[in-house]
Amino acid sequence: MFAITPNALSTFMNSISKYIVILSFLLIGIAAFLIIFIENDYYQGISFKIMFIHVPAAWLSLAIFLAMGISSIIGLIFKSPTAFTIARSLSPIGLIMSIIVLVTGSIWGNLTWGAYWVWDARLTSMLILAFIYLGHILLLYSFEHFQKADFAASILAIIGMVNLPIVKFSVDWWTTLHQGSSVLKIGGPSMTNDYLITLLVSFLGIFMLTMYWFSNIFYIIIEKRKIERSKLLND
Amino acid sequence: MRIIKLNKQIKKRFIFLLIIFVCFSSSIFLISYSLKDQIAYFVEPTDLKKMNELENKYLRVGGLVKENSLKFIDGSWVFEVIDQNKNSINVVFSKTLPNLVEEKKGIIVEGKLVNNTFIAEIVLAKHDENYMPQSAINKLKEEGKWRGD
Repeated sequence: MFAITPNALSTFMNSISKYIVILSFLLIGIAAFLIIFIENDYYQGISFKIMFIHVPAAWLSLAIFLAMGISSIIGLIFKSPTAFTIARSLSPIGLIMSIIVLVTGSIWGNLTWGAYWVWDARLTSMLILAFIYLGHILLLYSFEHFQKADFAASILAIIGMVNLPIVKFSVDWWTTLHQGSSVLKIGGPSMTNDYLITLLVSFLGIFMLTMYWFSNIFYIIIEKRKIERSKLLND
Repeated sequence: MRIIKLNKQIKKRFIFLLIIFVCFSSSIFLISYSLKDQIAYFVEPTDLKKMNELENKYLRVGGLVKENSLKFIDGSWVFEVIDQNKNSINVVFSKTLPNLVEEKKGIIVEGKLVNNTFIAEIVLAKHDENYMPQSAINKLKEEGKWRGD
């Protein structure tokens, strides 16, 4: 697995990326249709439909950080340039996802709780996650040589993984204004099946879109390095 | 079968990362464990009974709005916040309530306890993790399984 070169992975992902983007648009289209025509929540009314963007973005922002941390570990231990490049191309997507979570969440919060922002454990740890993503990106671009940047940023990604269980379980460990998990919890999901299906379709669509975006960023990084290398050879 | 022998360098790097991770995560654990009362966003009425020197202390109390207790008297809202152990406090709030504050629904009140009455300055509605369309509730009511209001 560690023998795959960045170039080979980039070529492979570039070849399948157009199927991924078609699939993601299809899924997002179905999800949009379902979201428009689904029945409102009995208590919150229409504002609960923000959930179908908020929750997939939240899952993805956590999953992307986990992937980033694992590939940073592999990169550091096995000195694998592919793993480092995966971590490097994941962090901007994760940052955007966590910003989407915070913005949609605060809109929903104002409609439901009566406050845009409170400093409870879930909201604060999510904000910290967004800042770690930002720090990771800033570290990546603050070194002259990308190998050094990769080393420093992977340490941050590995340390930042401590925050993941805190974000996920903050609603169980401490009392928070944010409600507990509705889907991934003991005793099964606490929503009806039509909501659950809509949520899963929406999640898959956004997930495919992030995969497409990831393959594009990966491709751009690899092509940029090729150009830089050829420049160095010509000088 | 060939046994994969880990390279000495790889082993060294692995141990290095493990030490970083363990040190950092244990420090975070200790911080959050020792600050757990501060990290908690609210206390329940039951917790108030165990606490000393409550008068004029700024607090957040969470629970459910007690059934048939939400009233509008002399320009302010008066209600009771109750928790699972049936302990409750009386709350007075003189501003507009958030839209989703209802009886038997979650609420968080922020303010001070004066003479056994909680003078709230901020009231937040706390939503639970259940999502349901009205049709599903009607179906549950028909079957007699609906536990809510």
